[in-house]
Amino acid sequence: MNALEIEGISKKFGDFHAVKKLSFMIPSGTIYGLLGPNGAGKTTTIRMVMNIIIPDEGSIKVLNRRMDEEMKEKVGYLPEDRGLYPKMKVGELLLFLAEIKGLTGSDARKKIDFWLERFDLSDWKRKKVEELSRGMQQKLQFIVTVIHEPELIILDEPFSGLDPVNTKLFKDIMLEMKKKGRTIVFSTHRMEQVEMICDNICLINKAERVLEGNLSQIKKQYGKNTVILDYDGEADFIKKFPEIEKIDDYGKFMEIKLKETSSPQDLLPKLVGKISINKYEVKEPTLNAIFIEKVGGKEIKDEEDTSSH
Amino acid sequence: MRKILAVIKREYIQMVRTKGFIIGTVLGPVGMIALIVVPIVVSSVSVEKQETIGVVDLTNEIFMELDKKLDHKDYRLKDGFRRYVLEKFEPSAGTEELRHELREKVLKKELSAYIYIPEDVLEIGARESAVRESEPEQEKVEYVSDHTTDFEKLRALNRALNNVVIEKRLKREGLDPQKVAQYIKRVELQPIKITKKGEEKDTGGTFMISYILALIIYMAILIYGQVIMRGVIEEKSSRVVEVVLSSLRPFQLMMGKILGIGAVGLTQFSIWTLFGIGASVYGTSFIPAGANFAMPSIPAHVFVYFVVFFILGYFLFGTLYAAIGSLVNSEKEAQQLVMPVTMFLIVPIMLMIFIIRAPNSSIAVSLSFIPFFAPILMFLRITVLLPPFGQIGASIVILILTILFMIWLTAKIYRVGILMYGKRPKFAEIVRWIRYK
Repeated sequence: MNALEIEGISKKFGDFHAVKKLSFMIPSGTIYGLLGPNGAGKTTTIRMVMNIIIPDEGSIKVLNRRMDEEMKEKVGYLPEDRGLYPKMKVGELLLFLAEIKGLTGSDARKKIDFWLERFDLSDWKRKKVEELSRGMQQKLQFIVTVIHEPELIILDEPFSGLDPVNTKLFKDIMLEMKKKGRTIVFSTHRMEQVEMICDNICLINKAERVLEGNLSQIKKQYGKNTVILDYDGEADFIKKFPEIEKIDDYGKFMEIKLKETSSPQDLLPKLVGKISINKYEVKEPTLNAIFIEKVGGKEIKDEEDTSSH
Repeated sequence: MRKILAVIKREYIQMVRTKGFIIGTVLGPVGMIALIVVPIVVSSVSVEKQETIGVVDLTNEIFMELDKKLDHKDYRLKDGFRRYVLEKFEPSAGTEELRHELREKVLKKELSAYIYIPEDVLEIGARESAVRESEPEQEKVEYVSDHTTDFEKLRALNRALNNVVIEKRLKREGLDPQKVAQYIKRVELQPIKITKKGEEKDTGGTFMISYILALIIYMAILIYGQVIMRGVIEEKSSRVVEVVLSSLRPFQLMMGKILGIGAVGLTQFSIWTLFGIGASVYGTSFIPAGANFAMPSIPAHVFVYFVVFFILGYFLFGTLYAAIGSLVNSEKEAQQLVMPVTMFLIVPIMLMIFIIRAPNSSIAVSLSFIPFFAPILMFLRITVLLPPFGQIGASIVILILTILFMIWLTAKIYRVGILMYGKRPKFAEIVRWIRYK
């Protein structure tokens, strides 16, 4: 069974195509990554799933039904623009947001205590939201998303602005949810998280789907002729070798894609003695490399510019 | 429905807890009472002191009498001392020099003022002759002071002087001033209002009650409408709205908000009503004796209609305020859009006096049917004279239909506007939202 089925949805804002003929399916009980640079159409897609924006064409089925009021209780949603009532007390805020998800008072109170405990926020229950730090507010927002134990959890950029500790906490909880059979979709442009937890991905660029499917299969398609090189020294000379198709150089670390005809075994001897090699690993390409190849360097650069603001 | 209830509960509890609500609830009646009581108290304890007034009496007949008049109890200070001490000045050296001298004295505060009484003031027909001889400065008694805005003082002096002058004139004609006073004694028109229940004396209470209650409706709609608007803007700017809308429909959020804040308004009125009942039972003793103020009673039907028209008016304008809030990004931006809405509230307030004076004129009747004016104007007519029930019913039906239409219309605007950030939409776009299915 699929938790989410999207078929040929499009959305135009004026002359601007935000999403064009997008289709993908998310099997129940999996974690799905929606990837793409800023402005690719990820948030628009998610908002259409949430019935906040109505698509110009195409159909969306959530848990085998059209998204409606009843379905909203089975879905948890973390919007890209985080926001809570700043003047409300933490406990009251959670109670209100749980109640409009259909939870009864006593049930909600139990869950609120559980989650506040889990996120180490119990002491803050009677404080106003505006008194919490940004990180704590993000945790609070996450609780709001999952408190009613939704079957489908939709997270728009869940990791943006999180410190490593909270990133791990969020990731752990996402994996726990998956174990309980829940389905999770999240959008991001941070590849390392996708590689760690996603079963399937969909890569969107300029409103259109560029890549979709099972993550490990996608990686296999991209072959076994990628080399991860961990080194010290001056390694620019490698770039001139004829067997190289593409290099992502990070200074002390290099991801080298070789041409189909060349073998990683032939490259290694050419390096020995010229640089100090800490690690030489033959593997599937990283998602990052695939992403850059598919989307192109320019967009990635833009991406970094905007995310550094 | 349960979700709307949750929204109502949230709005209500959050609002009732604010300092603004608590202060407003307490200060509302305090302010109202202060408005009535303070001027009375101030006027009764105002510090008045004795002052010396110079008099130049060219008739040589008036000074003595005027001095005697001002010695009368009515013109004395509260502690029994004379308020106005007169000092006579003779124009021995010529009037111009004397005037100059007196002006100096006034400026040096030796005199608080001087009165210049011309020669011909006692002559009947002096006025006409003065005009003919083109000496207009001679036709009036002059009161010269460094400040001439104390109306009460001017009135008192004027009355005393006139009494003296008139008595003198009458005596010259051989008439008895006391008899004449009896002949020209005025009669008072006593307003008595008849209702189906009978007659009641109207001492101006109806007018005041109508005025105050209509003003309360106006203020309440204005204030609570703005509260709705601010709430919507806050939800929008804090971006919480997207989270809330992932759980309920925009319509539920809008209606929950309007209902919750409306309930706060009714709570406030209930508190004030209890306060008012308490005040009318125990409070009369606080009003200074002799203030000539009777607490007018509010008939039950007026009270019922007050609540009905407040609720209807609140809904009508509340939906508009919610829609405006959804269209803008900040309160500053909202101000321009709020103006026309506020105008709908201000126009009936400006028409109030007219409606109170002519509640049954055809203009008043037709104005009171216009839904945006009805909450104030129809209610006003009800307080002044109970219009036929057909008219009231028709007005309420028109209001309810308009409200339903406005809810439908504004919900459509709200639904799209609430999730729109950035540039404020143009009118044409809003029309498109309304058409949007």
